[in-house]
Amino acid sequence: MKIASLRFEEVSFSHEGQTPVISNVDFDFPTNEIIWVKAEEGAGKSSLLQILCGMQIPQSGKYLINGENVSDMSFEEFLPYRMQIGYSFDSGGLISNRTLFDNLMLPLLYHKVVSPQEAKLRVDEMLKIFDLTFFANERPASVPGRVRKLTVLLRSLVMHPQILLLDDPSVGLGKSSLYNFVDYMQGLRKQGHLNHIFITSYDDKFMDLMDHQILHLDGGQLYYQKVDPEKRVVHI
Amino acid sequence: MSSVLSQIDSLGRSVTRNVNYTLRVFLLVYLSLRATILDHAQGFRQIVGVILAQIYFTGWQALPLVSVLALGTGSVLILQALSNLTLLGGTQMIGNFLIVMILREAGPLFVALIVIARSGTAVASELGNMRANREIEALESMGINPLSFIVFPRIIGGVVSILCLAFYFNFMAFIGGFFITRLIQDMSFAFYTDSLMSAFSKEDFYIFLLKNGFSGMIIFVVCCYQGLSVKKSPHEVPQVTTQAVVNSIIFVVIFNLIVTALFYLKQLQQLGVV
Repeated sequence: MKIASLRFEEVSFSHEGQTPVISNVDFDFPTNEIIWVKAEEGAGKSSLLQILCGMQIPQSGKYLINGENVSDMSFEEFLPYRMQIGYSFDSGGLISNRTLFDNLMLPLLYHKVVSPQEAKLRVDEMLKIFDLTFFANERPASVPGRVRKLTVLLRSLVMHPQILLLDDPSVGLGKSSLYNFVDYMQGLRKQGHLNHIFITSYDDKFMDLMDHQILHLDGGQLYYQKVDPEKRVVHI
Repeated sequence: MSSVLSQIDSLGRSVTRNVNYTLRVFLLVYLSLRATILDHAQGFRQIVGVILAQIYFTGWQALPLVSVLALGTGSVLILQALSNLTLLGGTQMIGNFLIVMILREAGPLFVALIVIARSGTAVASELGNMRANREIEALESMGINPLSFIVFPRIIGGVVSILCLAFYFNFMAFIGGFFITRLIQDMSFAFYTDSLMSAFSKEDFYIFLLKNGFSGMIIFVVCCYQGLSVKKSPHEVPQVTTQAVVNSIIFVVIFNLIVTALFYLKQLQQLGVV
């Protein structure tokens, strides 16, 4: 299934007893881009990503993928779309009773998207590229925070999804890991994966490693800002 | 007058809350069963793996504790039965007495209490921690339904474990208890087993299955429900674990009472008393 469009129609969402994260929003999300989602602290960037991922359901309105309203779908009906979405948490999110290797293998083996041998090859390659082989058989509690964060990021890529949602990906990562990650991501994009990427971050330097457009979340509304790559300030 | 009305209001709210909670708990059974049936990705081996792990933790690892409790209960009841029934001249009734006391009443309740204390708390805190560490969200984000991946195998594993534990409890209480009693009081084994066998009826088998099977389901559904009710923070985990224990005990005791009451009501009907 090819994901060509993402659209909100009169979507509203709020956490219980809090001000709305998004309020009556009509919005066509830009596709085939890397989108930097910007907002004030606590404005609801993570919630927006979770709505896009299908983990939060808007209280009203429609979330349309390829023109189909997915906000009314059951877990099973939404599954084909979910398989095309990779989501990385800003903190936590690793299965604590499995090793890092098993955490990465889990979605591949569970959904049987590739053979077990192919899954192992893919995960081994990832671990090698990111220098995580040494920690592969450790559980999340036994490894440094940087390794945990990197594993969560890699798990969102392991299925080679079309949509990638990264919540504060640069926090807790060293420079070399970040460069590595961006290179790896760009490599997958060249192979035809990760078509639509949404990233929340406060890290200008990290975002400047990629050509991106900007999506502002302000006062419950979404605003798109086109960025000219030629005029972009690059921090070294 | 207004204080009476406010008390009625308060009672109404409490009843509504409890009915709502009970419905939600039973809805979880349906949803986890539905999720398992509809989850085509989850392999048979995956489910069986979790069920076997649950049986190992809930059943196998509880055997020493169940042994001690069963031997103690069996010995005390056999001793009491022997001394009191002998005084009344009804030693023949020892089998009936023990079947009623151990198999129908004490067994299901004691086994349920052991399982709640050992495994119910473990399941509630495990799921609570998973929720707090965002592992449940992570499973959802990977397209893995937590209800089929976590909840359903635990319920099945719990039911199987509790049935096996209850069988073991009864066996140890009847036979082990007899041998311990034998050290201090004389009674022939043949007489004892004959008395037990003649007292055992098919209704006892149904009660055994009903009480233990449903207790197993209730305990694990309540504990899974409580564990999954953690919102975000790890400080909620001990709170939901305590609540899981309290609610499981209440549900199990009420269920056992209802089954016992219905059974004796049926017996009284058969005797023509009511």
